[in-house]
Amino acid sequence: MEDRFIIGSAKERAVSSPQRDLGNAQLNPSREEPRKKLCGYLNKLGVKGPIKAWKSRWFFYDENKCHLLYCRTAQDVNPLGSIDLSSAGFDCKVDADEGVFEIRTPSRVFILKAFSKQAMMYWLQQLQMKRWAFCNTQTGLPVDSVTAAALPANESLLNETIHTEGEGFLPPVKTPTDVVGLKAASLPAPQLSDALQNISLKHPWTEIQNTIYNICGTRQHPGNGRSISGAECPGTFSSLPFVACIPAWHREIIVQQPCQLLKETGFSGPAATSFRAGAVLPVVVCCDDHSMSPQELVKLLHKALEAAQQEKRASSMYLTAAEDRDRLELVRHKVRQIVELSSRVEALETDKQELEQSVALRDRRVEELQEHVQLLMDKNQAKQQVILKLTEQIAQDLSEPVQEADAVAADTLYKQQEEIEHLKDDLDAYRTQNQFLNSEIHQVTKLWRSVAEKEKVLLMKCARLQARSCQVESKYLMMLRRLQEASPDLARGEAELVKSLIQEALQWDAKEEAVEALQLNPVREYDDYGFMTIPKYEAEDWKLLAKIQALEIKSNNLLSHTAVEKPLGERWAGMAELSPSAELKGLIRCGIPVEHRQRVWKWIVTRRLSHHHAANHYESLLRQCERTEHPASRQIELDLPRTLTNNRHFTSPTSQLVPKLRRVLLAFSWQNPAIGYCQGLNRLAAIALLVLEEEESAFWCLVHIVENLMPADYYSNTLIASQVDQRVFKDFLSEKLPRLTAHFEQHRIDVSLITFNWFLVAFVDSLVSDILLRVWDAFLYEGTKVIFRYALAIFKYNEEEILQIHDSLEVYQYLRFFTHMIGDGRKLMSIAFNDMNPFPMKVLQNRRATHREELEAELSELERIKAQYVKEQAEQVAWHLDGAVSEEEEEM
Amino acid sequence: MMAIRELKVCLLGDTGVGKSSIVCRFVQDHFDHNISPTIGASFMTKTVPCGNELHKFLIWDTAGQERFHSLAPMYYRGSAAAVIVYDITKQDSFHTLKKWVKELKEHGPENIVMAIAGNKCDLSDLREVPMKDAKEYAESIGAIVVETSAKNAINIEELFQGISRQIPPLDSHENGNNGAIKLGKQTTQTTRRCC
Ligand SMILES: Nc1nc2c(ncn2[C@@H]2O[C@H](COP(=O)(O)OP(=O)(O)OP(=O)(O)O)[C@@H](O)[C@H]2O)c(=O)[nH]1
Ligand SMILES: [Mg+2]
Repeated sequence: MEDRFIIGSAKERAVSSPQRDLGNAQLNPSREEPRKKLCGYLNKLGVKGPIKAWKSRWFFYDENKCHLLYCRTAQDVNPLGSIDLSSAGFDCKVDADEGVFEIRTPSRVFILKAFSKQAMMYWLQQLQMKRWAFCNTQTGLPVDSVTAAALPANESLLNETIHTEGEGFLPPVKTPTDVVGLKAASLPAPQLSDALQNISLKHPWTEIQNTIYNICGTRQHPGNGRSISGAECPGTFSSLPFVACIPAWHREIIVQQPCQLLKETGFSGPAATSFRAGAVLPVVVCCDDHSMSPQELVKLLHKALEAAQQEKRASSMYLTAAEDRDRLELVRHKVRQIVELSSRVEALETDKQELEQSVALRDRRVEELQEHVQLLMDKNQAKQQVILKLTEQIAQDLSEPVQEADAVAADTLYKQQEEIEHLKDDLDAYRTQNQFLNSEIHQVTKLWRSVAEKEKVLLMKCARLQARSCQVESKYLMMLRRLQEASPDLARGEAELVKSLIQEALQWDAKEEAVEALQLNPVREYDDYGFMTIPKYEAEDWKLLAKIQALEIKSNNLLSHTAVEKPLGERWAGMAELSPSAELKGLIRCGIPVEHRQRVWKWIVTRRLSHHHAANHYESLLRQCERTEHPASRQIELDLPRTLTNNRHFTSPTSQLVPKLRRVLLAFSWQNPAIGYCQGLNRLAAIALLVLEEEESAFWCLVHIVENLMPADYYSNTLIASQVDQRVFKDFLSEKLPRLTAHFEQHRIDVSLITFNWFLVAFVDSLVSDILLRVWDAFLYEGTKVIFRYALAIFKYNEEEILQIHDSLEVYQYLRFFTHMIGDGRKLMSIAFNDMNPFPMKVLQNRRATHREELEAELSELERIKAQYVKEQAEQVAWHLDGAVSEEEEEM
Repeated sequence: MMAIRELKVCLLGDTGVGKSSIVCRFVQDHFDHNISPTIGASFMTKTVPCGNELHKFLIWDTAGQERFHSLAPMYYRGSAAAVIVYDITKQDSFHTLKKWVKELKEHGPENIVMAIAGNKCDLSDLREVPMKDAKEYAESIGAIVVETSAKNAINIEELFQGISRQIPPLDSHENGNNGAIKLGKQTTQTTRRCC
């Protein structure tokens, strides 16, 4: 790099002076293309080659592909390589040499050097603009209107126009016209120490092709070459590759006498070609050519004369030959001669070609040598300058020996000044770098954002398609299941077919997973709370059901995730402070997002329990547990390993939650001795633990449910309140869903056999986890009415299907499963809170009261009968003891 | 074509004795160590051939905890048979069994077939209830008795086959299981056992 400066002076002259002349005389500025073409010479650091060195390359931008192509000179046809800008980032480093910048593509880093800082900035800015323009034109995605409408924000982003570019980070850089643009093509490739260096070692074939093309192009069609040289470079010589190597002083002459130069360099145009043709007629043409020297003309005429004379001799011989035979002989002789001559012509022709090739090679060699000479001369000149300078300095030093005293001070001052200069330079460099990097970051961020939006749109579309496919698949499986159930009635062959189809369907997943390398919306095995997303049924005929269920849920998840949950999440995020309001109620009904659930539940529970929420209450209950064993502890112990068996936090042997659950349940059994422990409380506490994590919070949540939300005696000895609620529920069912109730009555279906545990454990283990938690959100906030609403909604959701079943057994079978098959939580929610309106609390309370009275009366009646029976039995026994023979004995 | 008869069967017994496990083994031939405790009840069906009939069992598996007893009438009402399960490793559960038998006799349907299952017989090392006690008791009330293991699939099929055999054939017993709750004195149906 040391000789860069030395070359500098020579280069400057070479570049600036002729350019000015040419620009005025020959270039028509109005002929510039409407869109400025981005092109120009840059030095490129060869990376992979054996030698790391700068190589001069002609870079030009391809709009269509957003590629930056490069070749050795502007005249080359085949580019040596290309850089994909659409995915590239740009960078410039302060500590790099002046004008050095980088283009980073995912696969490679290109290090390039412009001839000045300004040029570099120009390039960087242009590249950014090109990239931006390209990325914005690529928006033609197959995104349908629905999705696009769903993302209005996205659209406006995509439509940001190019002139917002820069955003004030980087002032637009003036085009350095002398080094970039089409005009630069007419200029010599900027010099490096050795022109040979420019030849790409990696692309020997392209190099040769380009060279040949250049040579041929200049020889045969001067002024009619490719668009670059043709449009912008009238004059033949400017497209000659070697001109670049001609020293500057020589060039002055060239400019003055282009024709002479043409001859000197051997690239004589039409004259030479016609001369080689050697025919008589062209001689005339030759004569016309004013550039022929007289000697050559005379020589040519001589030759023509000779040929004419020879011909004359031969024809006279022919005429003199007396006989036909002789004449024939003569003709034959002539024919032979002709053949011979034509073969000689052929030979000469090949000779000529070979010679032409060798001439081409020589030309190249000459070119290189000229370059070399130029280089040496440059060096020489630089050295001379140095010598001159040194001599001057010596002379100066000698002339001022007196000032030596001041020299030291001046020296340090000078050094400091120099340092300041350096620092200023650095500062400047950093500032530009900073500016550039800011604009780069800005643009890349914008690009990234728009790409991310596009990706989101596509993912959404993909999700919807997947959802559709899931739905279709699940419908198909449902049909298969129906057929399977009906299979005893089917013909043997059909039954076999159904069976094989089922087998096939069950194996789909495995196959798909193997094929699909990239899973866009993978079904996770466990959800956020550790619930298995796909139930594991061992029994064969249940597998189909599990599959249907998983598909339904997947399709619904896919749909809801993309469409609804995002805006809701935003509203939640804006709700830092929680306070009871209609809005909050509505939001909670829609389901609390996972990331807010814990906070909201905690808030709900503490709000309702604040009055007896003593700080160490839980602790003291735990201490009591240690002191005395509660009679319920045996049952608790029995149920601990049987709690939420579809959740990995409870089933794992090293579970942290099981001991917590034990303590919560034991503490509760002391907190509420009337209840102690009721099977089912374990599930309630387990859900509370999963969400709240902290065991004390979970304990209070359990207390909240049992003591605040549920009516008294829901879990106590006779579960009387639970039984009452079943009757109340039946009332509501007949009121809200009369058709279904009639259907149940017709088939003697007692729904409470199914619904009893829905109420007791608030749907735990009945509903799919994410719907369950949504139900719980509202349940914890609003109370048991929510359970009624959802219980009714579950029937409503499946009403039509139940009405289709006309066999009581099958109805029961269906009811056993149907809660698990509900996948569309939003639909269920909307049924529960819209379709089931009105649902006044007053009615619920009244019904509870009346049914409770009835039930208590019934129970006491039953007790009475029981007591009577016992009394009768006792009397009977007494009678037996009196000696009567028992009935059994009698019959024996 | 064979006639299909629907037979409602309920499972009663103390909590954790393995009622659900027995049903699961019978219906799905599967055993799950950590089967959830039953709340209320759960329902399953299975059809097995018996003689020239098909018996379709409608099985109601009830919750074992004491406080769910009050719900039991919903399930044993109209049952053709009741399987009362105890755990051979728990004397308590045998005691609970006796209470269930008593309740069935008092409030259960007439002619209900009772089958006693001493479950977890794979854990005979921990046995608390001798086989003899169960046999004697079953005899005294005229019930079928088997020791079963849901875990190792021992005697599960046999248990239900036994029940099937106890069900009187259709023609001779047309309106047998009409679901009436018997509240009065028990009659001596039990002696009509055929095996
Ligand atoms: N070793 C052994 N364990 C069994 C057997 N049957 C059930 N168990 C276990 O006993 C426990 C209780 O089984 P369940 O089937 O839930 O008992 P249950 O009678 O239905 O209990 P509740 O639903 O609470 O009334 C489970 O952990 C089973 O794994 C058996 O045959 N052998
Ligand atoms: Mg059970």
